Amino acid sequence: MIDFMKYLRLNRIGLVCLVIVVCCPAVALAQSGGAPLGSQTLGRAYWHVFVAYAIAWLLVAFWLAAISRRLGRVEGRVDHSVDD
Amino acid sequence: MNRSRMKKISMSFGILGVAAILLLHYMVFFWVPTELSMGIVQRIFYIHVPSWWVAFISFGVVALCSGVYLWLGDDRLDAAAVTAAEGGMIFTTIGLLTGPLWGKIAWGAWWTWEPRLTLALLLWFIYLGYFLVRRSTLNPERGKRLAAVVGIIGVLDIPLIHVSVSWLRSLHPEAVVLNPDGPTLDESMLATLLVGLLAYSLIFVCLFTVRYSTELVDRATQMQDV
Amino acid sequence: MKYLSVVWAVARKDLLVEMRTLERLTAMGAFSVLIGVLFHFSIDTSLIRVQTIAPSLIWMATIFVGMLGLGRIYTIEDENRALSGLLQSPISLDALYFGKVLSNSILLLSIVVLILVVFAVFFNLSFPGGWLGWISLSGVILLGVLSFVSIMTLLSAVAVNNTMGESIIPVLVLPLLVPIVIHTVTATNRIFANRPFAEIEGNLRMLAAIVLIFLVAGASLFRFAIEE
Repeated sequence: MIDFMKYLRLNRIGLVCLVIVVCCPAVALAQSGGAPLGSQTLGRAYWHVFVAYAIAWLLVAFWLAAISRRLGRVEGRVDHSVDD
Repeated sequence: MNRSRMKKISMSFGILGVAAILLLHYMVFFWVPTELSMGIVQRIFYIHVPSWWVAFISFGVVALCSGVYLWLGDDRLDAAAVTAAEGGMIFTTIGLLTGPLWGKIAWGAWWTWEPRLTLALLLWFIYLGYFLVRRSTLNPERGKRLAAVVGIIGVLDIPLIHVSVSWLRSLHPEAVVLNPDGPTLDESMLATLLVGLLAYSLIFVCLFTVRYSTELVDRATQMQDV
Repeated sequence: MKYLSVVWAVARKDLLVEMRTLERLTAMGAFSVLIGVLFHFSIDTSLIRVQTIAPSLIWMATIFVGMLGLGRIYTIEDENRALSGLLQSPISLDALYFGKVLSNSILLLSIVVLILVVFAVFFNLSFPGGWLGWISLSGVILLGVLSFVSIMTLLSAVAVNNTMGESIIPVLVLPLLVPIVIHTVTATNRIFANRPFAEIEGNLRMLAAIVLIFLVAGASLFRFAIEE
């Protein structure tokens, strides 16, 4: 279990995937026509979609971070008792 | 079940979950058509509904594990219940925050006070009570028992949520999948929704197994210290 | 019959203690009147016709009064560790639970009668005309109070030996009261508007189901909540 969390932290592919999926809502504009992104005004609905997906990922990441922190504490306690 | 087996299970679910999430995002942003009446904001549906389903399933796990914990007294069941409650709170929060973002565009109001949304908010508070009871009871063993009682009582709220919709004829959309006449979603939208449900379930199971095994090790080391 | 006599003995003991001290009744009674006063001053009667929202005010007052009085269900057994004595006695814990539900229901029902009288005077309410209206109103009040008391009796046990004390009870209880509030207020609104019984029947059935669910769950889970 301890190795798994280290595996996740070191896995840059996982981090890159996370960045891609958070930024994904912006590509919804590709469906609205061929105009370049810069000349379009992002409508309110697009912002709502982006924020919604970002919230979902942030909360899942928050839980993951909380688990990771707890695991770190447990690791410390296990190492401490092994040393004893 | 030993720890290395748990590690393999959680890694498998984690990898499958990430793959399903990538597929979901592809389907949501490149494949599924835009809904006619609500427009682009309807795409929130594909994370809003799966988060609710996972939340309700996890609360069901809380109630089941709490009930069996009270019956058998096995501490592992309490560990599973508290883990599921944490996950339930996270996914309920996702549902409660994404719902208004959808509702503001679709129905013109951030919060409509219709029964199902309100009772889902109340379910969040019930499980807040679950954690408060655990932490504030002087005797930790009694705290686990009381939390189990609160967990079981809380899950009774879920059918009342569903029944309240039919009683008060709320604004919330009629159930588009669990409809006695059959699903009323377009096929591609239904497929995307099911992929969303699968993706969220896999992510939940992955994080659940990691958190659960951490909780077991934590309790075992605390017992050793004592 | 022995079971019922145990239930009645527990209820009678609580009611006797309350009759001798009148602590909770006094506080709840005073609160009922004062909350009516506050409601009057919080509503702009030039904009809102109070009679249309009176059922909501009645049930809100009932809930606030119930929270005040019923949060202290087990504090009457604080003295001389009477609760431990009660738990060690040979009575079954679900009989203890039903006894507590019975005594507290009687207490709260008497306060609800006071609330109805006070609010009728303060807000010039007119009650339903026929006997069916009165029976329906009695049914709604009885079922509403029973469902509220059944869940309060279970969850008040949580506050015993708790660092948060009674302040944890509203967090636990209020979310569970929403279905009760929906059906009691809807039914009471319809009764006051002299709607046909067919429109009220559904709410009564739902309240009866809620009472059944909470009583069964309460009796089953009570021993886990009350044991030390």
